[in-house]
Amino acid sequence: MTTLPPGVDPGLAHGRTALVEAQPPDFAAGAVGAEKPRSLFARGWEVFAQNKLALAGLATAVFMVLFSFVGPLIYRTDQVHVNLINAICPPGGAHPLGCDSVGYDVLGRLMIAGQTSLEVGAAAAFVAVVFGALYGAISGFIGGPVDSFLMRIVDAGLSIPYIMILIILAVIFAPNRVTMIFVIAAFYWLGVARLIRGETLSLRTREYVQAVKVIGGGGMRAVTRHIVPNAIGTIIVQATFAVADSIIILASLGFLGLGVQAPDTDWGDMLAGGLQYLQGGNYWWLIYPAGLAIIITCIAINFIGDALRDAFETRLQRR
Amino acid sequence: MVGYLIRRVLQALVVIFLVTIFTFALQRLVPGGAVRALIDNPRATSQQIAFYTHLYGFDRPVYVQYAKWIGQLVQGNLGYSAKLNLTVTSELALYLPKTIVLVLLGTAVSLLFGIPLGLYQAVKRYTVGDYVLTGVSFIGYATPTFFVALLLVSWFAIDVPIFPPFAPQSTTVIGVLTQPRALVLPVVAYAFVLYALWSRYMRSSVMDNLVQDYVRTARAKGASERRVLWGHVFRNSLTAIVTLLGLSLPTLVAGAIFIEVVFNYPGMGLAFYNAAQNFDFPTLLGFTVIATIVTILGNLLADVSYAVLDPRVRYA
Amino acid sequence: MAPLLEITNLHTEIRLRSATVHAVDGVSLHVEAGETLGVVGESGCGKTITALSIMKLLPTGGHITDGAIRLGGIDITALPEEDMRQVRGNEVGMIFQDPLTSLNPTMTVGKQIAEAVVLHREVNREQAMDRAVEVLDLVGMPKARERVNDYPHQFSGGMRQRAMIAMALACEPKLLIADEPTTALDVTIQKQILELIDDLRRRLGMAVILVTHDLGVIAGRADRVAVMYAGKIAESTDTGTLFRNPRHPYTEALFESLPESAAATRERLYSIPGMPPDLTKPPPACRFAPRCRYAADRCRAEEPQLLGDVPGHTYACFYPVGVTERRMGQVKAPKPEAVPMQTNGSAGPVLLSVRNLVKDFPVTKGAVLQRRVGNVSAVADVSFDIHEGETFGLVGESGCGKTTIGRLIVGLDKPTGGSIWYGGKDLARAREREYRRQRKDIQFMFQDSYASLDPRMRAGAVLSEPLVVQRMGNREQRQQKVAEMLDHVGLPRNAVERFPHEFSGGQRQRLGFARSLILDPKLIVADEPVSALDVSIQAQVLNMMKDLQRDLSLTYLFISHDLAVIRYLSNHIGVMYLGKLVEVGPADEVYLTPAHPYTQGLINSAPVPDPEEEQAKVHEGVKGELPSAINPPSGCRFRTRCPLAQDICADVEPLLTPFSLNGHQAACHFPLQDPVTTEGSAVTGVQSS
Repeated sequence: MTTLPPGVDPGLAHGRTALVEAQPPDFAAGAVGAEKPRSLFARGWEVFAQNKLALAGLATAVFMVLFSFVGPLIYRTDQVHVNLINAICPPGGAHPLGCDSVGYDVLGRLMIAGQTSLEVGAAAAFVAVVFGALYGAISGFIGGPVDSFLMRIVDAGLSIPYIMILIILAVIFAPNRVTMIFVIAAFYWLGVARLIRGETLSLRTREYVQAVKVIGGGGMRAVTRHIVPNAIGTIIVQATFAVADSIIILASLGFLGLGVQAPDTDWGDMLAGGLQYLQGGNYWWLIYPAGLAIIITCIAINFIGDALRDAFETRLQRR
Repeated sequence: MVGYLIRRVLQALVVIFLVTIFTFALQRLVPGGAVRALIDNPRATSQQIAFYTHLYGFDRPVYVQYAKWIGQLVQGNLGYSAKLNLTVTSELALYLPKTIVLVLLGTAVSLLFGIPLGLYQAVKRYTVGDYVLTGVSFIGYATPTFFVALLLVSWFAIDVPIFPPFAPQSTTVIGVLTQPRALVLPVVAYAFVLYALWSRYMRSSVMDNLVQDYVRTARAKGASERRVLWGHVFRNSLTAIVTLLGLSLPTLVAGAIFIEVVFNYPGMGLAFYNAAQNFDFPTLLGFTVIATIVTILGNLLADVSYAVLDPRVRYA
Repeated sequence: MAPLLEITNLHTEIRLRSATVHAVDGVSLHVEAGETLGVVGESGCGKTITALSIMKLLPTGGHITDGAIRLGGIDITALPEEDMRQVRGNEVGMIFQDPLTSLNPTMTVGKQIAEAVVLHREVNREQAMDRAVEVLDLVGMPKARERVNDYPHQFSGGMRQRAMIAMALACEPKLLIADEPTTALDVTIQKQILELIDDLRRRLGMAVILVTHDLGVIAGRADRVAVMYAGKIAESTDTGTLFRNPRHPYTEALFESLPESAAATRERLYSIPGMPPDLTKPPPACRFAPRCRYAADRCRAEEPQLLGDVPGHTYACFYPVGVTERRMGQVKAPKPEAVPMQTNGSAGPVLLSVRNLVKDFPVTKGAVLQRRVGNVSAVADVSFDIHEGETFGLVGESGCGKTTIGRLIVGLDKPTGGSIWYGGKDLARAREREYRRQRKDIQFMFQDSYASLDPRMRAGAVLSEPLVVQRMGNREQRQQKVAEMLDHVGLPRNAVERFPHEFSGGQRQRLGFARSLILDPKLIVADEPVSALDVSIQAQVLNMMKDLQRDLSLTYLFISHDLAVIRYLSNHIGVMYLGKLVEVGPADEVYLTPAHPYTQGLINSAPVPDPEEEQAKVHEGVKGELPSAINPPSGCRFRTRCPLAQDICADVEPLLTPFSLNGHQAACHFPLQDPVTTEGSAVTGVQSS
């Protein structure tokens, strides 16, 4: 849905006009703190860890996961039976965040809904990215008319306003967690495929991929040992943003009443009645908790994704 | 340039072809069969069903049905909604104009803020202003459109009743436009998420361009920063936005649906939502086909604009 | 008379995120009106930053921290930005290295030039455009009035650079700063551009600062030279004296690392050991001391000042080399004895033979169905032999097909026609599977080692991958082999753990070379292996290649555009132009007695680091531009630029005819030598053109 283009760091002259190259330490001369070489992962982690927003994001995301999955074990509420006597009870006492329109405790519901949102979000993202990346990589590597054809299909898919298809699919198929995962993934993979195909095309012309041919290696080796590992960075970043996007898509469908069905719920579904209740009175606990849960979780994931992108770029682009 | 355009048009046609196949396939997935959806009578006898099946040609081979459907499409016949007792085309005529008003206004507002602020962020990067606006963008990414709408209604229509909580209900475009106050919240809600997208992209694009060699050459000629920015960088950064606009059409449609639902705005989005609630498949499918074609045309337009902006594409 | 530009004790810093680079650390220069000052040095020496400091166009984080720059008496370092803008483009013009990226791609060339005028003169748009046409004409752009409305990508490299020059000169500045103006251009175009700059300098009475790493360019174009090293000036004097009598050890070492210096003798080049110092922590003593062969204790403790014993020749060294010039007379350093040409003895048997090789790249057009509308004729019927144990140098400019031939031989592309004979088999016909076995014998060394090494693989993995693919040896044996290779190329054993980005440019080239060696090949095709390297590093790599050739009995196909390097390394030379092999033969014969006009033009255009030789060049180089490879000229492809062309050259394609008994051949109807007749009579005298 909304994927950010690569971040830019203008401090270091962006690649082309690198007038000032910081000299790499001359390890050959056994010089200057010849440190033990660290793996790329370690260096990437270092860059990531320096980004405070990313750390905050990571902490928040972990908190939300714990909140949703471990929370209900500690804070037990009945999320299955409706209790109309308690409908829309204000926050206080036994219900710190009040009750919703059918009497469910809002705080407890928030946790259950979190489970759905996070699960479906993560799973949909995973399926979409795995499928999309494979599709895109194969298409990009084979090239030629096959690639053209496969991409036409992707273009066709991308031309259809996904929300409409999602709504239609949600009407046709009884929505539950599993179907939602596939329904969302069924459209998200298109964008991933196009991106990874572009990446593959660009990597394919890199000289180190051509070098594989010179030493007698074949296409398989080039793809598995050289193209995929170098595309992994992009894939992981995409996957991260995909989780946030999937959560929002699921929530949007839930808001329309086309997501998971009762007693199962997600954060968007919790907001389904939102509008009516706004007008009836100031029932803020029906609106803010769920909405803020979405926003905070997604911002956290976006921070992580941004930082990952920086981490992947620096470690590959050092000159 | 002409070659480029021809290529694009042909590609668009191929895409349209593939889309029609897809939508056609979707029809067949409708539970109970497309016939039932058309007759809309749960008590229809099997005889009646058989009758209508033959009448509408659902017993013909698949490719014949497809050909027939394409033929209908080309003639402008998008189907008939039994639930509403209207042809889909007349539904469109009723609802589409109002949605267009919303989308155009919303997109215009989002671009009006997104492009200049993105530029500002790039020029004043890493200052407080940049960080604040980045924060706003991040919130924009992470907030579903419907929630923005809910919040705006809550704050500015209910808590502090400046604006009405519902969008203009008029059935005509003129009617809609004569109630500007009622349009404010829907348009702002629609524009907010889009703004985040444009401004972030513009910021990136401008920052990218500012470190290019040709900017250094312009400065070497004695150009002021202002001239460099507006005479050189701005135009080259716009191409990125144009491409993004083309790719964002599905997002524009999605936004329309949610805003219309929250604000009860009688446009295509609300009609689509109602059709979903009513299992009105002809409407659902018909609208989808139209929206898709509009998206494809929009992409084509974006490509043309790109060629206009970038002479390297024009004179390959 | 006061100099036009005077730089006094300039200090410029670049503040990065992690550290501060002291790029220019106390530089003093001056430029007189109407002269060309050459500023020469290797990468990182600070020459570009110095040039940018004059324009106050430093990159992000750049600041002038001390010193003064006086232009016509006014200190511009103190000038506020508004006033500085009046100086830029008006009193001082600047041109940059890469004309493609340095021009705005979405603005017509005319508009960009007109902009320069509008910024500094009270004229309307029409007048500015007229001036643009006028100045485009001045720089030798044909059909200026029409082309003024074209976009940069519609011009060739040379034309783009002319447009840049036009832009810089539109307001007739008193000083032109040219930062590596020809590095990205072909040698023949380079000569045209340098001539143009010289010519304009005389006509407009301008001064020029020529920043470059190429000593040949300096020898031919600069009146005075400043040699920079590690942010400081090492030596400064007039060009003639510099080449005749260098006093700073660095200058001397630089000259000795040039392939031209050993071209006749073919002995090892002097390579300066080590690397330039890290300018984030500038050393307190003489900066060259760690690498200087004459360094003494004083050098490591104190910093030498820029002094001289004769006005006009200064150097920063406590123990200068060369001859003291106390006397007024010029001192002529004795020129090294001309060593007689090495006879290219009996060449070994033929290892690889290329016959009638053809490669066309399709040009497609069309929307859905990609119709082939034409072909880029990259290689058009080329034949030559490579003998065992020798180095065959393939030289030519961009688009001549030399890289394509290298790729065809190695199997990165499939030929459209012709044969490649190796070990009795035609590799062009071989099928993929059997070819893989043959691959071991012929390996490739890429030009850009940074791009040819997978950034995610450690050096050890990079080197052992060929062995893994060819299923040679077990893990231990592979590790052993890798260590052996590292020794051969002079890299430490612990390099196996490092990633490519942790190596310097020269080290990466060595790594790339090690990879090409690891399969014990017989033939290595090296594609521009030293083109991206500084002179001193280049010398190291060339020495390494020479040594290993001897030790491991290797054969090289060395592809380069650099005639000096080719001449230094090769036993045989093949000269290519637009897909055709125009001349081939023993290196010295081709270089000293060229038969083809293009070869002659190439030799004349290539700048030689000898001022006298450069001054003596009367040949005009090669005029015109490279024709399109899609529609190459009929008959002889060189005829559109050849001063000797006649009608027959368009009708009949010349074939390779012999010019000596040693295999010297050229394809020309009007060659510069007399061909041998079939009775085998010897070559008669030398024809000068």
